[in-house]
Amino acid sequence: MKRLSYFFPALIFIYYSLHLLSCTPAACFEETNAYLKASFYINSTKQKLPPDSVTLSGLGQTGNIYTKASGLQPALFPLNSSSSSSTFVIRINGIDDTIEFNHSSFPHLISKECGYSVFHSLEMHTFSQHNIDTILIINRNITTVNEENIRIFY
Amino acid sequence: MRRIYAYFISLLFFLSAAELVAQDTVLFPLKIRLGFDLVGPGMYIYDNDHLSMEGYVSFDKSEKMSFVLEGGYADYRYTQYNYDYQSSGIFTRIGVDFNFLKPEISKGKYWAGLGLRYGLSIYNSMTPTYEQENYWGTFSSSIPESSGTGHFLEATPGFRTQLLRNLSLGWTLRLKFLLSGGGGKDLKPIYLPGYGNGEKITTLGINYYISWSIPYKTKRVITKPVVVEEPEETEEEDVVQQGSGFR
Repeated sequence: MKRLSYFFPALIFIYYSLHLLSCTPAACFEETNAYLKASFYINSTKQKLPPDSVTLSGLGQTGNIYTKASGLQPALFPLNSSSSSSTFVIRINGIDDTIEFNHSSFPHLISKECGYSVFHSLEMHTFSQHNIDTILIINRNITTVNEENIRIFY
Repeated sequence: MRRIYAYFISLLFFLSAAELVAQDTVLFPLKIRLGFDLVGPGMYIYDNDHLSMEGYVSFDKSEKMSFVLEGGYADYRYTQYNYDYQSSGIFTRIGVDFNFLKPEISKGKYWAGLGLRYGLSIYNSMTPTYEQENYWGTFSSSIPESSGTGHFLEATPGFRTQLLRNLSLGWTLRLKFLLSGGGGKDLKPIYLPGYGNGEKITTLGINYYISWSIPYKTKRVITKPVVVEEPEETEEEDVVQQGSGFR
């Protein structure tokens, strides 16, 4: 029986080693950004089809999110966590439209390794109708899960 | 014939008495134990961001089973490249220990067995800063301090040996199963006092206890019970029948 107790130092050495390893910040392999996922549909046929060209940027931001992207399905819209609304300029097949999303934001723990992400809840949206006909909200919860949030009919 | 009949009855009594004499017993001291964990303070020497102190009281109900009450305090800090986290609180566990050793081996000095626990953790946690980068730039914020309650179960196999009179050392592995950690689905606790990583359903822990025991009662434990050999009924019946036949 005493031998079993003497076995303990080896056990505790292993435990300390594992503990120290667990204290070392580990790599994060998970998605940490919550994007609004938008699918494109042809309005006339209601068929799911990506536009020939999509350019997307945030209003007032330099640099595009997508530049003349073809075959884009879905488009990932990064929402502004610092604001309760995010406005985007989207050029579909050469025609510009503006979409504004109003949302609430809240922190969500991804994991100890990855830290926190900011999730959003989509409240309302407005958009111009130069090339876009309708935008349908499918799922208001903007998370890191790969789920369709809106449908853009153009 | 009455003499023969009386002889058989006497023989039966004698055999029974002989069996009682052959019975083995052990005087088993039932104890109240107070223990203190050495792993938590030891770990604090290596990692100043994690303090865990805990102890226990146990009460032997019998040579096989003890009631256990454990309690402790934990303080935890964690810094990652994109967030800081702090958690502190108290925890308690209640349950039973089962000794798998036979009383004649254990003798109240050795314990090898399995414990079962229900654990309750009451804690405060906060995230002083967290950051996230995306297309719009770097977003920084904090999560204010909030309190939470966690519930968990444990299976705790282990060993304990008496080294000096009433002074024991022993270690216990802890296989922990989270029932609920508090914080909701979005803000699960990164550290739950008494449990560990609150985002995981199972965690593993270890304790090394030094404990002092107070014997409060000595129990006579039968280690080799009386084996009553049933007399061969046919012979006895034959004798009785023969006896009655002589009347």
